[in-house]
Amino acid sequence: MPITAEFEYVKPKDMDEALHVFSLYREKARALAGGTDLVVHLKEGLARPDVVVDIKALPELAGLSLKGDTLRLGALVTFSDLIESPVIKSKFPLLLEAALTVASTGVRNRATLAGNICSAVPSADSAPALAVYDAEVLVRSIRGERRVPMAEWFTGPKKTALAPDELVTAVELRLPEKKHAGCYMKLSRYEGEDLAQGGVAALVFADNTYRVAVCALGPKPVRCSATEAVLNGAKLGDKALAKAKEAILREVSPISDIRSSKEYRLHMTQVMLGRALETAVARLFGKGPKYGSENIA
Amino acid sequence: MDLQKLITRPEKGAKAAKAADALEVVGKSVQRVDGLEKIKGAARYTDDLEFGPGLLYAALVESPHAHARIKAIDTARAEKVHGVVKVVTGRNFKHKFGLYMNDRYIFANDVVRFVGEQVAAVVATDPKIALRAAALVKVDYEELPAVMDAVKGLEKGSPLVHPDLKDYTHVPWFFPKPGTNIAHWRKIRKGDLAKGFRDADLVLEDTYTVPRYAHCAIEPHSAIGLYDASGRLTMWTSSQSPFTQRHVFAETLKAFGLSHKDVRVISTYIGGGFGGKAGVTMEIIAAALAIAVPGRPVKLLWNRAQEFYNTYQRLGVTAKIKMGATKAGKITALDFKLYWDSGAYVEYGANVVNAAGLSASGPYRVDNISVDSMCTYTNLPPCGAYRGFGYSEFLFGLESHITRMAEQLGLDPVEFRKKNAIKEGETLPYGAHMNPTGIREAIERVEKEIKWGVKEKSKDPKKAFGKSLVCFWKAPAMPPNASSSAFLKFNEDGSVNILVSGMDMGQGLLTVMAQIAGEVLALPVSKIRVETPDTDRNPYEWQTVGSHVTWGCGNAVKRAALEARERIFDLVQRVHCLDKSTLYLQDECVKCRTKPDFSLPFRDFVINGIQAEDHTFKGGPIMGSGVFMPEFTSAISDPETGQGGHPNVHYTTGAAGVILEVDKETGKMRIKKVALAVDCGKAINPDLVKGQIVGGLLQGFATVLYEDMRYSEKGRLLNPNFSDYKIPTSMDMPDEVVPIIIEVAQPDGPFGARGVGEHTMIPCAPLIANAVADAVGVRVKSMPVTKEKVALAVKAAGK
Repeated sequence: MPITAEFEYVKPKDMDEALHVFSLYREKARALAGGTDLVVHLKEGLARPDVVVDIKALPELAGLSLKGDTLRLGALVTFSDLIESPVIKSKFPLLLEAALTVASTGVRNRATLAGNICSAVPSADSAPALAVYDAEVLVRSIRGERRVPMAEWFTGPKKTALAPDELVTAVELRLPEKKHAGCYMKLSRYEGEDLAQGGVAALVFADNTYRVAVCALGPKPVRCSATEAVLNGAKLGDKALAKAKEAILREVSPISDIRSSKEYRLHMTQVMLGRALETAVARLFGKGPKYGSENIA
Repeated sequence: MDLQKLITRPEKGAKAAKAADALEVVGKSVQRVDGLEKIKGAARYTDDLEFGPGLLYAALVESPHAHARIKAIDTARAEKVHGVVKVVTGRNFKHKFGLYMNDRYIFANDVVRFVGEQVAAVVATDPKIALRAAALVKVDYEELPAVMDAVKGLEKGSPLVHPDLKDYTHVPWFFPKPGTNIAHWRKIRKGDLAKGFRDADLVLEDTYTVPRYAHCAIEPHSAIGLYDASGRLTMWTSSQSPFTQRHVFAETLKAFGLSHKDVRVISTYIGGGFGGKAGVTMEIIAAALAIAVPGRPVKLLWNRAQEFYNTYQRLGVTAKIKMGATKAGKITALDFKLYWDSGAYVEYGANVVNAAGLSASGPYRVDNISVDSMCTYTNLPPCGAYRGFGYSEFLFGLESHITRMAEQLGLDPVEFRKKNAIKEGETLPYGAHMNPTGIREAIERVEKEIKWGVKEKSKDPKKAFGKSLVCFWKAPAMPPNASSSAFLKFNEDGSVNILVSGMDMGQGLLTVMAQIAGEVLALPVSKIRVETPDTDRNPYEWQTVGSHVTWGCGNAVKRAALEARERIFDLVQRVHCLDKSTLYLQDECVKCRTKPDFSLPFRDFVINGIQAEDHTFKGGPIMGSGVFMPEFTSAISDPETGQGGHPNVHYTTGAAGVILEVDKETGKMRIKKVALAVDCGKAINPDLVKGQIVGGLLQGFATVLYEDMRYSEKGRLLNPNFSDYKIPTSMDMPDEVVPIIIEVAQPDGPFGARGVGEHTMIPCAPLIANAVADAVGVRVKSMPVTKEKVALAVKAAGK
């Protein structure tokens, strides 16, 4: 299916040029990295930019590195890059688990993590993992550079804190100091690639503290601080779980749509929370399924 | 030329004649003849064909309304776009067409009847220009009240989708009710229904619903048309039905001076059909556009969304079943009402309704039966053939119901099925008699394979195992005079080309045809070439549908091969003075039972003849032709009872069973094991039959577990894409699939074969519904049986 819309295509060689284009065109400019959302939207007429800015030649946006306890994921890092990275596998396995549930191998080879959070659909699989790792989004414009915490990044369905003249350069995550383990549970209609009908990420620490975040269970992916609060300090058992399952219902607001009913989403929110926490705890003690298996609910 | 070399000499040391029934090519899993080409990516599909820089591209203007009157079409702006060659509307095409009922136009004339219906087309030098210009065509509509539901469409005062139904022409076995939305009403009345219910110890009544489904062939529909200066129309189409298409093109466009001889359809390999490329859908638009722009090829390629909303869809159905049975487990009565949502045009879909109505008893003997299979027009996209042709749909309710009946009677559901399973010679719902069938053996083999009766318990307390076994049957649905034919030609080296017009759409038809001819002619498949058809050169085949081509086309090929063999024997008898009855073929040679040292290789005579003693040559190119028409069938019966005809050629029967694991909290289902036994009469190629079983099951399980077409209240399809219409991936395969081939010969089939293609998907829906009920005690009566429905039902039941 051809793209019928007409637009300019530019491929800046350096950051200044790219940022200049964004400052000039603002909403009328769209960044092209993996293109897995943008190209589809262009074909379907959902995106009508005046200029498409191909950012793949910008060296500042490339690469994945762990320096000290800070993981920097350049804006061009794809989901396949994450999956294939030994650093991610050993230090941030929850991110690996989430990345493995994104679309299919072919899409993951092109789709970027930064693109995923810029598209900002409520079902963004990477968002709960980034939220529990307390990620920050690094953005730049000709006005300067700023860091946006994940908690402030999503402002609504398909809406972010990114200003029209800004470009995401990287996402940074801090490696937690304490011993921990995680789990991302995703609700799908089948085993093949699917958009999350709900997703719950849990990070469990050896000192009985917890972090929980969800996607596709409200207008935007969110950290569930009230759920964390009822869990913190308690050993994960039936009682703590029951309280957490109560609490999380107050932090989600799913809708009924073609993919799932609100009723099922609410039911599965509790089921997935329980299973994510239990799996994470098992992993904390060296048990449980390996990351990336048995997490499609 | 060295004449000495042309003189044929019998070879020494010929092998002894083989036993009469020992098959050497048929029954063997030879590699498919198109395999290497496809694996290498060299096989060409319609969209791969090159037509040079003169090729034009078409884009459509489509209706945004489910039901509306077209008040005006303004094409002026579109026509001015640089690169636009022509804008075509319904103005120039006033002839209605259809496969079984003439109820549709090439472009909507005065009224649009579904969202997405073609109203006009733009032909341009580039696909982008065509799309941009199509967006500039302005159509004024007056919206009309629409019919969105097949059951509501039957209510008094419902809007009418086709007010002029009384004027439509159709095949004689359809019974439309003008003044209503009923396009066809297939009735079956046999026995004494009231007595049957009186005799029953249990009468159970319930309703089951099945939504619409899409075929989702990976290759979208595509067609290229060229109307040239010689007055002939050549169409390259991705089609299961080149000859039926030729017929529909010629009939629909005869006002332009076309006759059948002028229309040529060339069909390449097709990337999946599943019924969706049977008959004629978008191809008629490409044919009309070719006529509108003579001298230049015009290409129409469906995008994925169009593939969903403007080809045939599988019909949705609301099935009301009332069944009676005795304590002993005998079905005494069945009252089956099927309300089909058939869409805006039913030119093909009405025959699905007909076929299902004839066979709605399932593979059981039911002496007292009433079936009302009603084809209702709605303002949703047209429905038509889909693998299973109505049987998957009615079997969901029927086989769910049978399990429930058995359980309520305290009987074993498998024993119940065995007791009622139809036997050879028993009377069918329309009065004809059942063909030979291995259904009982199929049940027993599957029963054993899934360890029926042994309850399995999951180690995971959150999960439960369930088992089920269901039966299935299906007959090809075809006109009583649907024919097949074949040409067979020997070449100088003793190899053979076979010309048929059956389509290989992945099922392996070409390979199987080569095997049938190879068996008759003692040739390995590697010496035989069979390719996709060109209606100018290849002989007639009605369509590749209904799981009938191995049987029908296979019979024609066998006859062609037998004719060629007869010519060989005649020639050898004449020249070598050997009695015909002593001759046989082996290892690409003619041999003689009474003269063990006689061996005449094909390559020595099949083109250039045999040199006689006087140095003259006798014979000439060896060829054969074969024709097959099922001369015992008739579609004419009493419209009020359905009795009197012989509409179906034969039924293929079978049974399937599953072991299903259900997660009680999430509803997630995992098929641990599935076994399917099908009586294909004779597996010409066992690997290909197994391929049908594995593929059919995967397709069937997808329709019950997650596929589902959803419409807005205004009739717009909400999921015309793979984001929200899920088709199975390799990850969705059951853990274990056990294909079981049963071979109770079909007397009139080639080497005893009967059809097997569709049957393998039709038991899937009740298999899952019954296994879920067995595992977690909840009954889902609407397809699909999603994990959401299962989880919420379990939760509601407090289990």
